[in-house]
Amino acid sequence: MPPSPCATCHTNRAVIIRPKDRSKLCRECFIHIFETEVHETILATALFHRGERIAIGASGGKDSTVLASVLKTLNERYDYGLELCLLSIDEGIRGYRDDSLETVKRNAQQYNMPLEIVSYGELYGWTMDQVVAQVGKKGNCTYCGVFRRQALDRGAARLGIKHVVTGHNADDVAETVMMNLLRGDLPRLARGTSIVTGSAASEVKRSKPLKYAYEKEIVLYAHHCQLDYFSTECIYSPEAFRGSARTLIKDLEKIRPSSILDIVRSGEDMAGLVPAEVRGKAAEEEEEEGVAGGGCGSQNGRTRGGEMAEMERKLAEDEAAQDRETEIKMPVPAPRKKQTQKTGAPNKVKSQTLGTCERCGYISSQRVCKACTLLEGLNKNRPKTAIEMEVALDDEEISSTLMRQIEKVELGG
Amino acid sequence: MPGKELSDPCMNCHEAEPEFTLRSRRVCQECYVRFVAFKAFKRMENYRLRKGMPKTGPCKLLLPLSYGVSSTVLLHMLHKQIEVLQSKSHGPAGFEILVLVVDPSTIAPLPLPEYGFDRIQETFPRCSFTQLPFHSILELDPDVHQIMSEYAGEGFADDTSNSDEERLASFRTSISTATSKSDVDRILLNRFIVAFAKKMECRGIVWGDSDSKLAAKTLANVAKGRGSAVTWQVCDGMSPFGLEYNFPLRDLFTAEVRTYAGLFPELAGIIAHDAPPSENVLTKNLSIDELMIRYVSTQGEKYPGVMLNVTRTASKLQSSGASSVGPQCSFCGSFMPTTNVATSTNSADGDEQLNKNLPPQFCYACARSRPDLRC
Repeated sequence: MPPSPCATCHTNRAVIIRPKDRSKLCRECFIHIFETEVHETILATALFHRGERIAIGASGGKDSTVLASVLKTLNERYDYGLELCLLSIDEGIRGYRDDSLETVKRNAQQYNMPLEIVSYGELYGWTMDQVVAQVGKKGNCTYCGVFRRQALDRGAARLGIKHVVTGHNADDVAETVMMNLLRGDLPRLARGTSIVTGSAASEVKRSKPLKYAYEKEIVLYAHHCQLDYFSTECIYSPEAFRGSARTLIKDLEKIRPSSILDIVRSGEDMAGLVPAEVRGKAAEEEEEEGVAGGGCGSQNGRTRGGEMAEMERKLAEDEAAQDRETEIKMPVPAPRKKQTQKTGAPNKVKSQTLGTCERCGYISSQRVCKACTLLEGLNKNRPKTAIEMEVALDDEEISSTLMRQIEKVELGG
Repeated sequence: MPGKELSDPCMNCHEAEPEFTLRSRRVCQECYVRFVAFKAFKRMENYRLRKGMPKTGPCKLLLPLSYGVSSTVLLHMLHKQIEVLQSKSHGPAGFEILVLVVDPSTIAPLPLPEYGFDRIQETFPRCSFTQLPFHSILELDPDVHQIMSEYAGEGFADDTSNSDEERLASFRTSISTATSKSDVDRILLNRFIVAFAKKMECRGIVWGDSDSKLAAKTLANVAKGRGSAVTWQVCDGMSPFGLEYNFPLRDLFTAEVRTYAGLFPELAGIIAHDAPPSENVLTKNLSIDELMIRYVSTQGEKYPGVMLNVTRTASKLQSSGASSVGPQCSFCGSFMPTTNVATSTNSADGDEQLNKNLPPQFCYACARSRPDLRC
């Protein structure tokens, strides 16, 4: 078969079959199209303004490396007038983060960008390795996610920057849509697809310029531009719902390559249909979907299944409780839940009043922010029992895992 | 005379020998049937008691029957409800059921129970029945002619001298991939059923989908870019077609529907069981609809509640938002959300091309299934 010419320039030999639509392109055209699409996303959403200082959440992985490279290219080509720098989080995971940070350091030199590294150890006195040694592998992602959110904010604050861009790609966003459907998490369904996820609780806004870029194309771009990136994934366990959603999306992509974008589109449409009273809930906490580019939850479909099994059990119990309650209907939550709420106010939808954490000064709707609450637990050497109420009120997502653990502890005496 | 002491009686009535496990409780057959039938009974309350609708006059509901387990069981349950209603001398006016069978052999070549149509008429004398071939859609919904040619684009020439059967067949073969074929068939069937319901002056449509079908439908719609349509595709309430959509079996697991069907011998000669999913099909040759049915059934074995919850989550979305106004897609009839600067500019060349070639009246998802697209 003779080599086919590029579908765009018709002169060079096509060397790439584009994952998004299976068109055949030469190297130059692919790189150009990829960059142009990111450029158009940035223009269509008016993501940046001239003179803005941007921190790129850099993990050394493919997504954030490509993001840094593309933003540098576009900033020069289209004269955005942005001041770019790299911001890395050192979770303190040996054999994973120490190596990837070396990559980020090289990237900083290659792209001539300043680099700021914020470490958990320095910020909280606990590295993730130490946290895992304390709490075990189960539930450690909770700690990592809470810590990372604050660490990114603090890093940005240290640099005096109000806008952090992350390497989330279309696959990540599609996965989040499916995952939130499976988890029945409407507030996150409402927020997960928007390109900018600023929150009332933080002055730093987050955005994902690669929201419409396919993971496969990011890999191709990194390969053809010969970018220097680190490809090992986090050694700790991913979340089961995300794993299940990830497998599903990989299958969908095989059937219809456009389906990743179609899911993103569905997610955007459905976000508009989420009732306002649900949407506002827990606005303080944004989900960390492997921030800084595949930081966590990115192990190809490898799952523990624990979260799904737990949710299944809970749903079955709710159902059974409902059946038993047919005769006397009380407008109160199921009795089982009362146990976990006995020490505080009921878990109701409320408008949040933002203050600052009395311990660390971080913005929080609670007296003590969540990171400090988790830290207190760690420091007391009793991670699961000490954090009961604050967490239950604070955040409906992370609390679901924690509440179950609390329940177990309480019920088990 | 005291009866035999049961060591472990039905956990519900405490009288009979338990035969089934129903949501982790051991119950007898009678309690099982009562529980399962009650789920659909409750869902029909508004129609039975005519809540929020005229108390007199006809209240016709269309039940599309595929000879599958779910729609046949739904028919069985609703027929029983009508029997009870009609046995009461001063009972509420209730509802009547019109059954439409779109002859399955005209949709896909499938072996069907012989005399199925005669049997259902004998078994359910209190409902009225119509059986039509798929291509009757061209008679019932005259707009389809024009939309077919517009939708299929240049690769398809509609020969008006051909019979309706041939015209529909050639349109359906012009659709290229498995996903698009099944998507287009679903849209056509929906249009067919809606057109028939309107012709018969029905108030609404009762669909047989059980929880796992609805969960698969929700996920498949999302995967096909039809996220905004889940509000009417899987939720009880008003559809964009001016007819109420209802899913009375929505709280039942498919396994429960199947067990129920097995308890009534009269259903055995009617139900055409789906062929078990073949193991030898490559994932990429499946349609998205099939993939989701497989996903939900494999995951549903371990996590039935999680799958049930998918549909519940979708039901919490507001259909009466900005989505139920504005232009409707001329093929599937969904309201087209006018948001999304973003996805319409997502691919530099692909979508631009797409916008140029398309008359604006097809929604995002229908445009995806058109034959002239590469993906």
